[in-house]
Amino acid sequence: MTKKENKVKTQRGDWYKLDLSAIVYPTLQRRDFSSVYRLSVVLKEEIKPEVLQQALDMTLPRFPTYKAAIRKGLFWRYLEPNDRPGPFVQEDVRNPCQPMYFKANNRYLVRVYYYGNRISLEAHHSLGDGTGGMCVLLTMTATYLRLLGAGGIQNGGFVLDIDSEPDEEELEDAYMRYANAKVCPPRLEEKTYRVRGTAEPFYTLNIIDGIMSVSEVMAVAKGYHATITEYLNAVLLYALLTKQREEPRVSLRPVKIAMPVNLRRFFPSITLRNFITMIYPGVDPRLGEYTFEEIVEHVHNYMRYHLNEKFLRGDITTNAATQRNPLIRVVPLFIKDYVVRLFYTRIQDRNSSAGLTNMGALKVPEGMRDYIQRFDIYMGQPFSRRTNCAIISFGDILTVNFASSIIEADVERHFFRKLVQDGIHVKIESNR
Amino acid sequence: MSYCVNCGVELDASARECPLCNTPVLNPEDYGGYAALAAKLSRIPRVSSGSGKETETPFPKEKGQVETVNRKDLGILLSMVVLATAATCGILNALVFRGVLWSLTVIGACVVLWVIMIPAVIYKGQSIYVSLLYDGAAVSIYLYMLAYLTRSKGWVWGLGIPITVLVTVSLELITLCIRKLPRSFLTVALYLFTATGLLCMGLEILIDRYLERDIALSWSAVVLTVCAILDITVITMLSRRHLREEMRRRLHF
Repeated sequence: MTKKENKVKTQRGDWYKLDLSAIVYPTLQRRDFSSVYRLSVVLKEEIKPEVLQQALDMTLPRFPTYKAAIRKGLFWRYLEPNDRPGPFVQEDVRNPCQPMYFKANNRYLVRVYYYGNRISLEAHHSLGDGTGGMCVLLTMTATYLRLLGAGGIQNGGFVLDIDSEPDEEELEDAYMRYANAKVCPPRLEEKTYRVRGTAEPFYTLNIIDGIMSVSEVMAVAKGYHATITEYLNAVLLYALLTKQREEPRVSLRPVKIAMPVNLRRFFPSITLRNFITMIYPGVDPRLGEYTFEEIVEHVHNYMRYHLNEKFLRGDITTNAATQRNPLIRVVPLFIKDYVVRLFYTRIQDRNSSAGLTNMGALKVPEGMRDYIQRFDIYMGQPFSRRTNCAIISFGDILTVNFASSIIEADVERHFFRKLVQDGIHVKIESNR
Repeated sequence: MSYCVNCGVELDASARECPLCNTPVLNPEDYGGYAALAAKLSRIPRVSSGSGKETETPFPKEKGQVETVNRKDLGILLSMVVLATAATCGILNALVFRGVLWSLTVIGACVVLWVIMIPAVIYKGQSIYVSLLYDGAAVSIYLYMLAYLTRSKGWVWGLGIPITVLVTVSLELITLCIRKLPRSFLTVALYLFTATGLLCMGLEILIDRYLERDIALSWSAVVLTVCAILDITVITMLSRRHLREEMRRRLHF
């Protein structure tokens, strides 16, 4: 048996436990909802689909947890290698992040689209988080560019060597390595303001992209003594507060944002699977009227207080405690699904008014920079009627991508108008 | 390059209106200058698409469809299991346990099973109303076959087929109500209670008729009364918003 055949045989025999976050996403699966996110890269030349397909076929085997199908066991779901044909690149659609059924699409949980100069990767969150997805997208893009004759693109950062073996650490559940605090801090749960809106018909995802200059936003954020993330968080809170004030309500509710934090910044890991936790910066309008400056200061202090290795270790230990509990482990999967779904819809989903993620300034290998215009990132369809906001920057271009499944764009309008008021030039693109 | 006059944001060249506030993009040059635009403004049926030529949009125009789950393999597997069961019983009956045609009961049950599973795994596009009709027809034919085998047809025409028709019609009506009328936990409960009461009443009438007794309600009257009380309770809850909310609060789980 040749070495290659041996490798294929070994991979076929492999299977992967879902990581701590990934356990939750499949339980939320509905006919009209899947936890799917989208990452896009806009190149400077039109995409050639046949070359892109070739690049995808060459790249995906390097990522065994992405070339996988999700299956049900008696107690937990798991990922198993998927050797079925595909996934196939397809022309982009107006309504991205459509539900992803586990048994459709030859059981693949990734989709690759092209439109004009843009390559988009959609992946189910149970495979990995944005960092893992970005590795797949950028490695595939680098392969695509190399196939087109681009020289000088080195591996490094998000671009992995497609000829090398996947590192064990890339496939690990990093939560379990770091969930070792001596105490499980309690979760703070509070019902927050929920955006009221008219639901769009099934399959519709409204997108509004705001494109701006990183240096302009940074200058304005510095004026408030905040970072870009803190400033944009504060603008979103301001937009939500304005929206709540406009609505006819008897009582006000706290406004909070669910913000995923990339734990790789605090705990060394090269995992391509989920390694994020949520923090909830917010303000409570019941305590009094907040000026914008006060909101920025509040967010700034919250971030300084919560974003450190100790707090985050406590948080992931609390999350892991449930999965480690032997009594919970022996409960059949269908009961776990029911309980998790109930917990998510009744508590977790009500704990925030909107979602915001910031992937930060994306670095690509030097030889690749000249081929890329910008990146887009979408958190995907929100579980309930609200809006999700995702931020990414490349060079001097910062994009803020809103995705919502409601007709009204009030939050987005307040958000971008505030940026314009602060003197930032914003260009809007939308699929509405 | 267009800017929204309300939001102050730059808009894409292909935008016909601001995605944030729906303010239309009106370029005076397309209307022969500001004066001409002002004059025409009240008579413009649709917003101009900008410079007149087709501009590339930042997002595709076509909407995608969700991939469907392929149940063909499961359909083939279940069909083969049913077919194999029917065939082996037929062969056993013909070659080993001869005498009576007992295999027909198994073959008939297999056919009924297959008809019932058509909408689930074989042909998902089939209307649910048609599926229910097929199910009712399959059960009726099966009952007739049983009667033919036992040579006692009286109960089929008197009881078996009328009950099958009654149950099929009830299921069709419940499906119609659930799909076409407003649907919530309470309304579905209302349809089910009503259907249960009427079904029991119909059953008792059919049984009385078959036994050639005087048609009079006895046990079904009790069921009907209970269902009527439950129906009235549900209708009251549906009509009083405060009551509905109170029940939701108290019974939430």
